[in-house]
Amino acid sequence: MAEDFLQVEQLSKSFGETEVVAGVSFRVRRQEIFGLLGPNGAGKTTTIRMLATVLQPTAGEAFIGGHSLTAAGAAVRRLIGVCPQELALYPELSAQDNLVFFGRMAGLSGKEARAAAQEKLEVVGLLEVAGRRVATFSGGMKRRVNLAISLMNRPQLLFLDEPTVGIDPQSRNRIFETVEGLRDEGVTILYTTHYMEEADRLCDRLGIMDQGRLIALGSPQELKATIGDPHQVTLEQVFLELTGRRLRDTA
Amino acid sequence: MRAGFAGLNRAGLLAVLEIRRMMVNWGELAFGLALPVVLFALMYGAFGQDVVFRGTAQVVDRDGGAEARAFVEQLDALPEISVRERSLSDAERALDRSAILLAIVIPPGFSEGLERGETVSLRFLQHGNGGDEGQVVAALARAVALGLAREASLRTQLAAALGEGEVSLAQDLRRQIDATVAELRTAGPAVGVQVRTIDEGNPGFIHRMVAGLLVMFVMFSVTLSSQYLVEERQLGTLERLLTTRMNARELFMGKFLAGIARGAVQAVLLLVLAFGTFRLGGVAEFGGMLLLTALLLAAVSAIGLVIGALAQTPDQASWAAAFLTTYMAIFGGNFIAISGEGVLGWISQFTLNRHVIDAMIAVLSQGESAWQQVGAIALMLVTALLGLLLARWAFRFSDAGAVA
Repeated sequence: MAEDFLQVEQLSKSFGETEVVAGVSFRVRRQEIFGLLGPNGAGKTTTIRMLATVLQPTAGEAFIGGHSLTAAGAAVRRLIGVCPQELALYPELSAQDNLVFFGRMAGLSGKEARAAAQEKLEVVGLLEVAGRRVATFSGGMKRRVNLAISLMNRPQLLFLDEPTVGIDPQSRNRIFETVEGLRDEGVTILYTTHYMEEADRLCDRLGIMDQGRLIALGSPQELKATIGDPHQVTLEQVFLELTGRRLRDTA
Repeated sequence: MRAGFAGLNRAGLLAVLEIRRMMVNWGELAFGLALPVVLFALMYGAFGQDVVFRGTAQVVDRDGGAEARAFVEQLDALPEISVRERSLSDAERALDRSAILLAIVIPPGFSEGLERGETVSLRFLQHGNGGDEGQVVAALARAVALGLAREASLRTQLAAALGEGEVSLAQDLRRQIDATVAELRTAGPAVGVQVRTIDEGNPGFIHRMVAGLLVMFVMFSVTLSSQYLVEERQLGTLERLLTTRMNARELFMGKFLAGIARGAVQAVLLLVLAFGTFRLGGVAEFGGMLLLTALLLAAVSAIGLVIGALAQTPDQASWAAAFLTTYMAIFGGNFIAISGEGVLGWISQFTLNRHVIDAMIAVLSQGESAWQQVGAIALMLVTALLGLLLARWAFRFSDAGAVA
């Protein structure tokens, strides 16, 4: 059985009086694609921001590749790549320049960064437009640049926060292929999405969050089996069964 | 040691990135460079020339004789005056509709009277007191007329002393007198005018204008550097940067350096223009101004980072920066000397502008070196250091800075 690469133990985050993440615990095995699902405001992105060392947890701990999140943030950063939900690019610069810059920030030399940028742009299918300014790209192309940047430091754990929002099927498919290819190369992936079929296709295991808590954990088949025949039930039905039908982002 | 170098390297890369982003935006870059040039050109147009009186003498020559013509020619030859001749009726109409405020009338018999050594008069027709221009023109006309009267008087007295129609000696002497008088006319007035600014002992006006303009432009870069962090936050790149090996200290150092470099482009351009145009001094003065400008840029860049660390939106950052820049410009005496006394003098002590401008003027006007401006240098260094620490501290309380 593969070792746990990510261990999350009672992780919590509060903003003032509001507890956004409440004692979440789960483990992700090396080379596993772990999906974190949940309605809007469930605490998925906050969990990822804590694991990516951007936010300080209010309580709890996590270990990434054996390094403590709270005590060894710098060591953790060397192991992770983050593809944030919102595009995080410099639109005035070319795709190549964006990748090279973030590669340098991740510790690569200039030569290494340029070589890695070529390689990653090829992976996401943007090598031919490497020199074009990102501002001129379509939404799907920007998403792929966003993903490519997160791969620049050859991360062992990759956080993908809704990487396929608002893009065409071709770009989405390319991202799927990239993610599956990364898993085959040994990368561990924590993936959040609102698209249930996407989670069903890609993820080895899933955690469903609601109101800051982890309310279900298991493989897609195991989760489907909790409400019926796994061959008949969809993941969306499981999701709605567990989280309810009340709108979450109207309050 | 190696980690420290890598950190410095990352900060440098971040600064270079900001410069590259600026260079890519051609419109913004051109605008940024054009602004100081345009302002400088306006300043040069307004203050770059010698400040001398220029006026027009409206003259009515009703005499037409040799002395009347000599009067008009001598008046026209003055550098401050150009002559426009009119008929009496034309001059009166122009006076009636206030198109002119003073006309000088040379009455009939003016030349004959002068030649006979009689007292003759010019007539000044004027509206009210003739206006500022009219009064100056009248004074200059009186001086020219007085000169003519003295020449005529000299000729008359000499002729009387020698006796009319005596010998050829008298005619020779008369020719010599005429030649000497003509020579003296072309040689210019015996009494010259030297223009000197009235604030002797205080900084020259141009020096203050250059220092004030330079400091104002440098202060504008508060707005730019305050936007760096806010912009990174909005682009989402701030969080991304903080998941790389870059830490918050390196982030701030990078933005700090970028602020200095970006402001330096405008400041150096302005300095080169000012030194080239007004010949403000040599290498020592230029170097001194450059040093003081660089230190001010450092202080301003750090202040911008404090604003950027506290502000959550670009508007908040812009307003805070605009307030600060306006406060500094108004109370720092960018273009007017503020005495150390009174409420204004007291408030001005709390502006960077006041101290930096005083230091710059000392370098430009009093021949002091930049290193002698210990107070101003210390103030700017302390401001830069405190600003960086304060910005880092404020950033700690923002979401993105919590861990970094």
